[in-house]
Amino acid sequence: MSTLDWTVLAVYLTGIVVFGYWVGRNNRKVDDFFLAGRQMPWWAIGLSVMATQISAITFIGTTGQAYGDGMRFLVVYFALPFAMVILCLTLVPFFYRAKVFTAYEYLEQRFDLKTRTITSLLFLLQRGMAVGVTLYAPSLVLSTILGLSESVTILVMGGSTILYVMKGGNRSVIWTDVVQMGIIWIGIFSCLFVAIYRLPDNVSLRGALSIAQTAGRFNAVDLDPSLTKPYTLWGGVIGGLFLMLSYFGCDQSQVQRYLSGSSLTQSKLSLLFNAFLKVPMQFIILLTGILVFVFYQFQPPPALFNSVARTQFEAVRSPEKTRAESRYASAFEIRKKAALDLTANRGPEEASRYLAAQKEFAEARTDVAAVYKESTGVADYNDTNYVFLHYILTQIPHGLLGLIIAVIFAAAMSSLSGEFNSLATASMIDFVRRFRGAGTDERDLFLSRVFTALWGGFACLIALQAGRLGSAIEVVNKFGSYFYGSILGVFMLAVLTKRANGTGASVGLFAGMGVVGLVVTFTRIHFLWWNLVGATTVFVIGYAISLAVPSKVRAS
Amino acid sequence: MSRPTDTTDPEFVPFFGTWRAIYVAVIVVNLVAMALVYLFSRFPY
Repeated sequence: MSTLDWTVLAVYLTGIVVFGYWVGRNNRKVDDFFLAGRQMPWWAIGLSVMATQISAITFIGTTGQAYGDGMRFLVVYFALPFAMVILCLTLVPFFYRAKVFTAYEYLEQRFDLKTRTITSLLFLLQRGMAVGVTLYAPSLVLSTILGLSESVTILVMGGSTILYVMKGGNRSVIWTDVVQMGIIWIGIFSCLFVAIYRLPDNVSLRGALSIAQTAGRFNAVDLDPSLTKPYTLWGGVIGGLFLMLSYFGCDQSQVQRYLSGSSLTQSKLSLLFNAFLKVPMQFIILLTGILVFVFYQFQPPPALFNSVARTQFEAVRSPEKTRAESRYASAFEIRKKAALDLTANRGPEEASRYLAAQKEFAEARTDVAAVYKESTGVADYNDTNYVFLHYILTQIPHGLLGLIIAVIFAAAMSSLSGEFNSLATASMIDFVRRFRGAGTDERDLFLSRVFTALWGGFACLIALQAGRLGSAIEVVNKFGSYFYGSILGVFMLAVLTKRANGTGASVGLFAGMGVVGLVVTFTRIHFLWWNLVGATTVFVIGYAISLAVPSKVRAS
Repeated sequence: MSRPTDTTDPEFVPFFGTWRAIYVAVIVVNLVAMALVYLFSRFPY
């Protein structure tokens, strides 16, 4: 990082905090703070929805995943446009006309207080822990490449986001997301351009794509009907549909964005805007990762992309290390020659030779990682999130590098801001106001800011302790995926049936979570299907119990 | 069942005119995108 890069990063951080503070300066009521006065235009909400979904790890992890595994991950987004249409036809009109602040508030209107309280509590529990991870993961990566301590990156990222969300609430979240999304788009296209530009002179783009195809990096459409295989087309379209419906329909961090629309039309358009752009955007991000893979066919990549691990490994002196490194260097040269032959002549023989060389290279890399783990005592090593960062640090020109690092900050902060704001909203609306009643505008606005600060502080605390809490966080995140689809099942009961009641919905919710828990524990079914299992179980059991134990249905 | 009293939205839908048109466009564009991704992955480079 040069002085120019640091300057670009500092300008971004200062600018976004000042801008967020400025746009949110006129909040007078809770309605302003949580729903931006319900005055937002569709395009701003649409960009905010998109920005909230893109975390820093989405940006750097997805490119790393494409480097190692190709385009398979794209199928997860194939269902998103379908989910958006379904939500526009079902949940969004219900939420909008019910004039609610939170998705769970609608459940009290439709069912009862306990259903609202349980679902809101589950949201707070899962999202509250997850927001710590949203902060920790990019902080860890950025601390490595910026040469700062994790605490500094956590506090800079978390602290600056808390500052403007506390001041401006949802209005600041949405307008800063718009700016951040603009920066992210510039960053994505810059990276794609650099990835193409950095290809060797004797390798055309077509030749590069040929290598990627031969290496199996364009494996986006897998028609295998297996439920255990990751990222099949069916898992993406069917399982992914339930995942997207759960996320965009029942997660307050998303629902709150589109409830800020100045009309139902604006809210629906914001979702449809995402429906048009999401797949192309993910495609470009993945393609960039694949072109980085092609770049490293001709330039030697480090065997370990994580610079901390690399430094540790450099200090190791053993014959095993020398052997593994020598094997790795030799495998690279053989693969490079095979790749050049393949670009010159795309015949089956060249393809077969390249595949053999690629296999040997992958094994040599695994060998180095194994020696590293053995010699340093590190139990687990995965450098997927470091591949793209190593590439940009070594290949992106100064100035633009600062912008790309700013993009990673922007991606992290846009997710964090939406999450802080939604956690404060659920705490304030579903608990404080529900159980203690609404106070004066000044008191409620003050409390809303306190909740924003508390949740932001909690996220920083979790992130600071994440190294020690590693397995606990994993358990909480896994637990979260147990009930994501189950909450969707409750909303399905609410809008698709006449006779479902609160008792059926609550019992169904716990049954759904239990069944998903069993599926996760005793089967190898891929996670994309879990939401379908949860939602279906809740719907069937909840409806059956509602018929067996009828109660007065409350209409909204 | 607590259905919304009015599921149509009177506001003008920009670019597409009607909700039906925009929903169909979203689905068609997505199906085309999926087909293009498939062709991109199978194209003989």
